[in-house]
Amino acid sequence: MDGHENEDVGFQHGSEGILNCPSSRMSTNPLPEKVSGMTMSSVSMYKPSNGADPFFGSGWDPLVSLSQSENFGGSSMVSHGEYPPYPVVMENQGISTTSHLVQYPSSSSFVELVPKLPCFGSGSFSEMVNSFGLPECSQIANSGCPQNYASNKEVATGRTSTNGAQSKDDHQVSGEGAIGSSPNAKRRKRVPDSNNSAFSPNQNGEGDVQKDLSGESSDGQKEPDEKKPKIEQNTGSNLRGKQTSKQAKDTSSGDAPKDNYIHVRARRGQATNSHSLAERVRREKISERMRLLQELVPGCNKITGKAVMLDEIINYVQSLQQQVEFLSMKLATVNPELNIDIEQILSKDIIHSRGGTGAILGFGPGMSSSHPYPHGIYQGTLPSIPSTTPKYPSLSQNVLDNDFQSLFQMGFDSSSAIDNLGPNGHLKPEN
Amino acid sequence: MTPKGVTLNTNSHKIKFARRFIRTLLRMRKNAPSSSSIEEIRKRSQRIKIAAYSSMAHAVGSRRAWSRAILFKLRNRARHHGMMRRRSMKKRVIKNDPPGDQSQTNKLRQLVPGGKAMDMCSLLEETAHYMRCLSTQVKVMQTIADHFSK
Repeated sequence: MDGHENEDVGFQHGSEGILNCPSSRMSTNPLPEKVSGMTMSSVSMYKPSNGADPFFGSGWDPLVSLSQSENFGGSSMVSHGEYPPYPVVMENQGISTTSHLVQYPSSSSFVELVPKLPCFGSGSFSEMVNSFGLPECSQIANSGCPQNYASNKEVATGRTSTNGAQSKDDHQVSGEGAIGSSPNAKRRKRVPDSNNSAFSPNQNGEGDVQKDLSGESSDGQKEPDEKKPKIEQNTGSNLRGKQTSKQAKDTSSGDAPKDNYIHVRARRGQATNSHSLAERVRREKISERMRLLQELVPGCNKITGKAVMLDEIINYVQSLQQQVEFLSMKLATVNPELNIDIEQILSKDIIHSRGGTGAILGFGPGMSSSHPYPHGIYQGTLPSIPSTTPKYPSLSQNVLDNDFQSLFQMGFDSSSAIDNLGPNGHLKPEN
Repeated sequence: MTPKGVTLNTNSHKIKFARRFIRTLLRMRKNAPSSSSIEEIRKRSQRIKIAAYSSMAHAVGSRRAWSRAILFKLRNRARHHGMMRRRSMKKRVIKNDPPGDQSQTNKLRQLVPGGKAMDMCSLLEETAHYMRCLSTQVKVMQTIADHFSK
């Protein structure tokens, strides 16, 4: 991508040392978070599975080999989590560079990356940091070269004056908007103001921050191209206005769709450290999921607090698994009946919990390949199942309405089951 | 995305699961007629339990991480049935976390299939979907058991 190259070029302008980092980062973090999630799950499949003696010993018997993949998955998650090529915009109050990446960084990942970045001298440092845009960089910057802060600050404050100067100035200018309004400590993820528009797109790209929160829009190396168009009015007042307007929403409400990356703004008075922003985003996600879980677990409406909620969840899952065990024991002891009315069973079941039929349409592309019927058929037309169409009339007696029938057809994962249905709808064992 | 993922557990899952599970049950019944010895019953119940989980995993397909984990485990189990056990048992013992480390998150990871390799966020998401599927599974099994015992 052109932008990419620009960035790399920008890197070279600064100091060569940094070059290693971004490339390595990029290599490790090509995917957005979501994809990383998937990768992880696929990773988990790679592990060799031990015989899993008690297959499902007590409820779910976790694959031991999972632990191996855990490290792998963990590290890959980490590397995925961090999105490397973020341009760093110097905005933090007093913190020279902040990458607004609020991805899903985990501190361990930062630790790993820290050694890679050398601490550079003041002059080059800000440049590096700017072009780098990596959270680790900022971290290192913060920790390693305090003297840079002052210089950055100064540069930042003189934002308009330094416009023409250099890339770092640009970044600082953009950053400095925040610095200038340091109490607000907003992280701007946009390209700095029109003053900087003169700058090479490289810088613009760098000025933008992308948050790879859910990885949705920003894929890996996105920033360069997207940043270019984003030149904002960077006047302090404007900024502040924008920031204050967005103060309410802390996190990436900027699933900025049009811009293809996520903006995260720090709340007023909160730390804008890349880490804390990332942490906050992560916490928000987690709390959102917890809320969902709260709705699922019966009787947990009034519980507030993550720990208690987690306890409830664990208890509920354990109780469900115990119920499965108990029921399987019960089924083992029951005398077998070879004639099973599937429709009866299912109709009873489904009658009790009807609805959600429309939701099936939502499956969309996610449907498993075993599903033979396209969603369009669901609408109520009986699909022409070759050998079983004549049997449907008999089915209809057991069925409450067409929806159920369609459901039935939708639910068939193998037509052989249908074949086994006798005239009365009794299931004939295949084997 | 998350709500969608969770609310997708609808009747379709139920039907798929029921169908598969019943088929497996019948197959089991056919192969091994009911025996009343406790050992047999226990073994059979274990097999039924595995059949239930596998039916659910198949019904969900590869969409969710937990179902993928179950399916993966099943396939490997079929492949290395008995052969890898001894070797892997040692590994398993070594890698177990000391019980003192049990935190809530760890417990949840152990409960949800494939949970150990997930970060907290996806773990919660998978837990939500898994919980729904589990409750569906329980309901269907309950219905079947009731039907049988009538």
